[in-house]
Amino acid sequence: MVTKTEETQLNELENQVENGGGGVWEYLCLVRKLKVRRSEIVLKHGLSILNDPGKRSALGPDEWTLYEQVAIAAMDCQSLAVAQNCIKVLQKKFPESKRVGKQEALLLEAKGMWEEAEKAYTSLLEDNPLDQVIHKRKVAMAKSQGKPSLAIEHLNKYLEVFMADHDAWRELAEIYVSLQMYKQAAFCYEELILTQPTLPLYHLAYADVLYTIGGLENLVAARKYYAATIDLTGGKSTRALLGICLCGSAIAQLSKGRNKEDKDMAAPELQSLAATALEKEYKQKAPAKLNLLTSALRSLKIS
Amino acid sequence: MAEDLVLDTAIRDWVLIPLSVVMVLIGILRYFVSKLMRSSPTPDAKMVKEGQVVIRARNLKIGANFIPPKSFRARRFYFSNEENGLLHVPKDQAAQNPQAQMFSDPNMAMDMMKKNLSMIIPQTLTYAWVNFFFSGFVAAKIPFPLTQRFRSMLQNGIDLSTVDVSYVSSRSWYFLNLFGLRGLFSLILGDENAIDDTQRMMQMGGFGFDASKSLSAEKDGLDIIQHEWALPRFEHRAESVLRKLVQ
Repeated sequence: MVTKTEETQLNELENQVENGGGGVWEYLCLVRKLKVRRSEIVLKHGLSILNDPGKRSALGPDEWTLYEQVAIAAMDCQSLAVAQNCIKVLQKKFPESKRVGKQEALLLEAKGMWEEAEKAYTSLLEDNPLDQVIHKRKVAMAKSQGKPSLAIEHLNKYLEVFMADHDAWRELAEIYVSLQMYKQAAFCYEELILTQPTLPLYHLAYADVLYTIGGLENLVAARKYYAATIDLTGGKSTRALLGICLCGSAIAQLSKGRNKEDKDMAAPELQSLAATALEKEYKQKAPAKLNLLTSALRSLKIS
Repeated sequence: MAEDLVLDTAIRDWVLIPLSVVMVLIGILRYFVSKLMRSSPTPDAKMVKEGQVVIRARNLKIGANFIPPKSFRARRFYFSNEENGLLHVPKDQAAQNPQAQMFSDPNMAMDMMKKNLSMIIPQTLTYAWVNFFFSGFVAAKIPFPLTQRFRSMLQNGIDLSTVDVSYVSSRSWYFLNLFGLRGLFSLILGDENAIDDTQRMMQMGGFGFDASKSLSAEKDGLDIIQHEWALPRFEHRAESVLRKLVQ
């Protein structure tokens, strides 16, 4: 995760570089270290360094890392010719290298030649069956080919071995949601909450999924998680506020006629408070839509 | 007893400084040699999986109160299940695992040998060199007074029993350098490589990743947990947050 200081540093360097100041090499190193995706800028300035033989030789052995970085950035920006050149240079220098092999397979994937890329990745995996990056590339390929079930299969196999990989769980959760397999998505979000319990994003997503699955128990749980999100964001999450109102009305609908004691009286005022907070926020930020909001809320409370 | 011996400055020039310089150089040499000799570790799939399982189980323990009770119980069952739970190590496997694995795996044995040798040989050689060339005279004076007990340790080459214990032989200067050059190495070689001899000696003792013990430790940790769902509390807190916001 990128920390705040690193982020400010990155932005400063980016401004400096874009406006013609120096510091290109530091910027590129920082991008590489933080693994952020700034492909256009990297491509433009990395190429300017590489095409200038004086600056290139000043880099020394880091030149090859720069070639690799520019190749990946070029593929991200679809300048495949540039990427091809960089990879050719790398191939000449390191003929039998697995790392260059990965780059070649990436290029095949960028060109859209799926079978060749698949073959290349499989052969790379044979040499090193525990390479995380290659596994993830296979998942990405399946996803971009529009085969989400295949992506799910690959991802599940990956997670069987590398079950502490946070990003993989997140990707799996998103794919499940896109395929409407909500129970599995709920499981993935639970994993994410376990690893980072103070991140409101996961609580919110989990609450959304629970609300979508429906059923009284899930709705009650969803309301709790919306409340958690509100707590963790200090009341600023509009989505969570709306979620609470919706949950409240859905619960009321479902438990009509049931024993009122069952409904947890944990926070009876939560719904009305959420509605008031929502109205206040809309008044501040989108006063034109305030009428819509009040009529929607009124209909919720009535039903 | 408190007479002040005046030590020849030649001692400082020709004993203390060369000894330190030599030890620093040997440390740097050892670092480069170990970099050359380091065989790239081929990670075993099973070990990687076990490592990840431990991390996941630990996360489960830490965040247990944030997920609904049913999910927690399902996960705990998945981990500590008697038949095929991930953390469950069958008893016969547990006993013979650590030692047998160490010695039967030729790669690991070789690695151990290399690490030990790379540490023992320079130490022995330097110690012998110090003893041979730099013994029999007083090398330095320690700035604080010491008891008589330290005499045998610090004054080994000096055969006079009336010399104050603060005056030590060069052997003790060698030991001082042995334990103290870590700071210097971290400056020269970069912060990560500042392992000096003390840490290596500790590394010699403790061996590689003992999977079965950590697995059963995690399992015990999980079994102990009483799940107390923290979310209801959050509802109250959210209420108070909103109340403050609305006012």
